[in-house]
Amino acid sequence: MKKFLMTAGLTALLATGAMAQQIGVSVARFDDNGLTVMRNGMTAHEASLDGVSLQIEDATDDVAKQLDQINNFIASGVDAIIVNAVDTNATEAMSNAAAAANVPLVYVNRQPINMDTLPDGQAFVASNEIESGTLAAFRMCQDLRAQGKSGGAKAYMLMGQLSNQAAVQRSKDFHDVIGMDMCNFITLIDEQTANWSRDEAQDLMTNWISSGEPFDAVFGNNDEMAIGAIQAMKAAGISMDDVVVGGVDATSDALVSMQAGEMDVTVFQDLAGQGAGSIDTAIALINGEEVDKTVFIPFKLVTPENIGDFLQ
Amino acid sequence: MSDSSQGTGGLTYDKSKRQWPNELNVFAALILIIVVFEILGAIFMGQSLLFDTRDRFDSIFNEARLRIIIIQVAIVGILALGVTQVIITAGIDLSSGSVVGATAMIAMSFAQVAEVNGGPNPKAIFGPAFLDLPVVVPVIVGLAVGMMAGFINGILVAYSRIPPFIATLGMMLFARGVAQWWSLGNPVSFPTEAYAVIGAGMNPVIIFLALAALFHFIMNYTVYGKHTYAIGSNEAAARMSGINVPRHLLLVYVIAGMLAGLAAVILTSKNLTAQSGMGLSYELEAIAMAVIGGVSLFGGRGSIIGTVIGALIIGVITSGFTFLRLGAFYQEMVLGCIIVGAVALDQWQQKRAAARA
Repeated sequence: MKKFLMTAGLTALLATGAMAQQIGVSVARFDDNGLTVMRNGMTAHEASLDGVSLQIEDATDDVAKQLDQINNFIASGVDAIIVNAVDTNATEAMSNAAAAANVPLVYVNRQPINMDTLPDGQAFVASNEIESGTLAAFRMCQDLRAQGKSGGAKAYMLMGQLSNQAAVQRSKDFHDVIGMDMCNFITLIDEQTANWSRDEAQDLMTNWISSGEPFDAVFGNNDEMAIGAIQAMKAAGISMDDVVVGGVDATSDALVSMQAGEMDVTVFQDLAGQGAGSIDTAIALINGEEVDKTVFIPFKLVTPENIGDFLQ
Repeated sequence: MSDSSQGTGGLTYDKSKRQWPNELNVFAALILIIVVFEILGAIFMGQSLLFDTRDRFDSIFNEARLRIIIIQVAIVGILALGVTQVIITAGIDLSSGSVVGATAMIAMSFAQVAEVNGGPNPKAIFGPAFLDLPVVVPVIVGLAVGMMAGFINGILVAYSRIPPFIATLGMMLFARGVAQWWSLGNPVSFPTEAYAVIGAGMNPVIIFLALAALFHFIMNYTVYGKHTYAIGSNEAAARMSGINVPRHLLLVYVIAGMLAGLAAVILTSKNLTAQSGMGLSYELEAIAMAVIGGVSLFGGRGSIIGTVIGALIIGVITSGFTFLRLGAFYQEMVLGCIIVGAVALDQWQQKRAAARA
């Protein structure tokens, strides 16, 4: 009897496995706000598709754990794997493992280091990271000009985790923009990391304010840090009309802050779209269709003028 | 250790063996660090860290900087008060940061406002019946969740005799899991105005210092405090002398959990949001504050005042780095060196004192 039940169970498992496309997903962190939006985009898209079944796992920001997850996916015979890399420098081993097992692999949101040598059956779905910081910084520069500060303006920058590619890129974008002729009236007073965190940003901004140095703009590598800076400035009695504050992500907290006239610029990264796009790309690869190595989902600038488009 | 106020295990008070109270050493280290920053500030920035050199305030101090030095450590400091007591019993609490994360998510869900900028709250966790609740509800929920986590830690440590490192490591992982599961990783935002008051302005500092004073009194002048030191110094002796060790340990962990719950309430109120990653590595910061403040990881030795000064040292260093505009890459390296250096210095002093005695 016991044996019969086990056999029946196994047969049932095998049967469902054969019917649905099994896709294994490894996400860098479950507790990251942006990645959660992306993850929700994946599950929503899964529900709208017939015969696709996702198994999503949390790599808890651990490079070694992520590689183990991928090898486990391969061992359990998934049809494709989607990876949101913990560390974009560690993707070579993942590509090799998947290629050796002939399982399609899609990188999502974070660009793998081996982009140029990506094996067949592998692709990268993301927004072009260089757009986000550049869009926000350039708009902040325009806002400062519009306020008549083109004679000279001072700025602070809150950086994300220093080991993170997006933080490095967005910080570089800001430097690049204020290096342009049109925007070189902006000087950076100081740049420090607040590790993407609102709380750390709030404390860091308060520390900056305590130095008494006047400033005109604050750029956060993400919205959470920009909001933290806003809270610190409000607590110090600084009028939000006098300071241009920019962030990246267009989170709902940031949109509310923008509606209240505090946040001036943010950038919408269609993370849910990236999540859905990664599944579509994986399915195309499973079906052996021709797929571009890079599938771009564009960034969009969000300002008080067009905020209506982004409020649900 | 010959300080009679903490001595147990049959040590008699001997004036010749009396040494400086340990807190004084820690305080001297605080002053030394401030002096170093003042000198570096004068050389490289042409400004003072703590004094007002720009005539922005009527007082001689830079008030804004004095405030932020302590605001930025107040919340972890509240955790550290509980962690200090746990460490004095020769235990350790690795779960406090994760308990902050879990409690933050749960408590904040009961503090949400119904309407944001004229529309419904986009982040509401529960239905309308749970929005716009009076402020006591999330506060009580927060304290209760924290106490529950502490209760489980306490049961595991005191009655199941699982080593505190393992028991609280389990709770650290479990509570972080709860924090992520609660809203499936989504942030919980937009609290009521009354809730936002708790962590506004200097309130975290006032709560931190009031609790520090309270626990300083409890640890030094009550049976609870004596028993805590006794268990940490020599658990077997404490049991022989009639202390109900398991019950007392349970109480210590429940108090530590409650303080973690309170810290979560203040943290979410200060930031107007709860996120599942909140409190990450707070447990290590809290332990660092205690250890810098002279609390021995072997138990039986340390004080609340020491931990408060330890917290201030971390606050001064954090603000000092920003003041000097030290590159972000170097800050953690220097902080690591300072923590190890502080403990090494303390050990050396202990040895010297022991040799003298």
